[in-house]
Amino acid sequence: MSLPVLRVCLTAEYGRRSVLRDVCFDLCAGDALGMVGSSGAGKTTLVMALLGLLAWRGGKASGEVLIHGRNLLSMTEREVRRLRGKFISLIPQSPMTALNPAVTLRAHFEAAWRAHESQGREALASRMKEVLEEVQLPTGDEGFLRRKPGQISVGQAQRVLIALALLHRPSILIADEPTSALDPVTQAEIVKLLQQLTRRHGVALLYISHDLVSVLQLCDRLAVLHAGTIAECVTVAQIEQARHPATLALFGSLPVPVRVLLAHAASRELATEDRCDEDLVCL
Amino acid sequence: MKKLLAAVFLLLLVLAAVLTLCRSRWSYAEQDREAILTPATAAHLAGTDELGRDRLVRTAGALLIGLTGATVAAAISIVVAAGFGLLAGFSPRWIAAALMFFSDGFLSLPWLFFLMMVRSLLPLTATPLTTAVTTFLVLAFLGWPAFARAIYRGALEMRGSEWMIQGRASGLTTWQLMRLHVVPQLCPLILPQFLICVPAFIMAEANLGALGLGVGEPIPSWGAMLMELDNTALLVSSHWVYLPIALLVVVLMILESFASEVKVYA
Repeated sequence: MSLPVLRVCLTAEYGRRSVLRDVCFDLCAGDALGMVGSSGAGKTTLVMALLGLLAWRGGKASGEVLIHGRNLLSMTEREVRRLRGKFISLIPQSPMTALNPAVTLRAHFEAAWRAHESQGREALASRMKEVLEEVQLPTGDEGFLRRKPGQISVGQAQRVLIALALLHRPSILIADEPTSALDPVTQAEIVKLLQQLTRRHGVALLYISHDLVSVLQLCDRLAVLHAGTIAECVTVAQIEQARHPATLALFGSLPVPVRVLLAHAASRELATEDRCDEDLVCL
Repeated sequence: MKKLLAAVFLLLLVLAAVLTLCRSRWSYAEQDREAILTPATAAHLAGTDELGRDRLVRTAGALLIGLTGATVAAAISIVVAAGFGLLAGFSPRWIAAALMFFSDGFLSLPWLFFLMMVRSLLPLTATPLTTAVTTFLVLAFLGWPAFARAIYRGALEMRGSEWMIQGRASGLTTWQLMRLHVVPQLCPLILPQFLICVPAFIMAEANLGALGLGVGEPIPSWGAMLMELDNTALLVSSHWVYLPIALLVVVLMILESFASEVKVYA
């Protein structure tokens, strides 16, 4: 088995209030780990800690976050900044508030590019064409990039944020409930997009969500975060063997038994593959 | 639309004032000893004051000095407040606490007493221009803490905002975060403060002047001209005595209409 790109063993607190206790997991290239849990379980704290941003929320993390073997928690802010966006990227929760409403989309891309690259406009232009294509946003349309976040739809905003996260080809992608603000159709599109990205580029994906359906579609493993610890970690294939009350409570909240969902997710994947084949035939 | 009308009206007033100052045969300090306290005549369209100075010219001067002084003072105030509020907003908590304690200290100063103190420190030989500059500088000096607090609130909001976290997560440097995120957001934060500030300073100068603490004679100012109004003999002599205060109210109404229409973000 290859060396994990991300190895985490983490404890975090806000002042004296402990939020995460010994949250440990590994993530390999091409791996997709789903982290589910109810509100207040510590999901957002985990995201902030993994990016070394917990201090901005007034919290403190201890333990280790090893990215390619280097511990992020013992680095200086300067060193951590160089990793953010370059090796480890975030797809945030609410697309409409995660982009600065006063700034054009192009300016967002330019700033994110210059944070890690000294190469000029041409390199940015060619890279942007690639990522915009990947997230299925218009590439040739200059007018699109001149728009401000208020002038695009939520689905487009989320695609822009995914493109921003992918700009430097990070090896680790953290998606913090990326579908929670979207309508069901756009949700499905974004999940499919993330699926393609992890498979195509071998990105390690930490997918944080409370939407079990998308986790089953997207992830290989499922970790249940409950009251600040990982209550249970199972592979999606063996999900029916889960026994922890928190996990069972999550399953209980589903409209159909988890077995049915799993079959459904598998069948949808097959269906999309079938359709691809048909397309090829037609071509 | 309302804002545009108000702006046009203000511009016309300023133009009229400039024209009056330039074209009139009287200067603001010149005394016409043949015409003391006259009502409107052909030579003095709005009459004269106790010293025989042309009231129209002096009112025009007061309008220009009041507007310019208040605008400059407001600008200084806001720049200081913005620097202070942003610094506090983006500093570690204990520095922010110290900075805001300092600014609250300023807010708690008995400002009228402070003003009197500053004015009494000025030598009696201070030129009228010095007193004018001092008056507005002191206003700027006393005005900033209230705005610093508002900008501090805005900066805290920015600091915790999703787009700021997204920027940090993209690895942006502090400098980049300032340029990309903070500066474009600053304008909507500062503008309303500025627009509230200008009429407040004009009013403050008028009040101070009426107490004899404002701009020194013979420079015309709203305050000094309002002082005339406590002379009953003068009040019955001519309706033109009310010209300065009427104009003051009009200008303040225009400026307040700007301030009221601005969307407040913070």
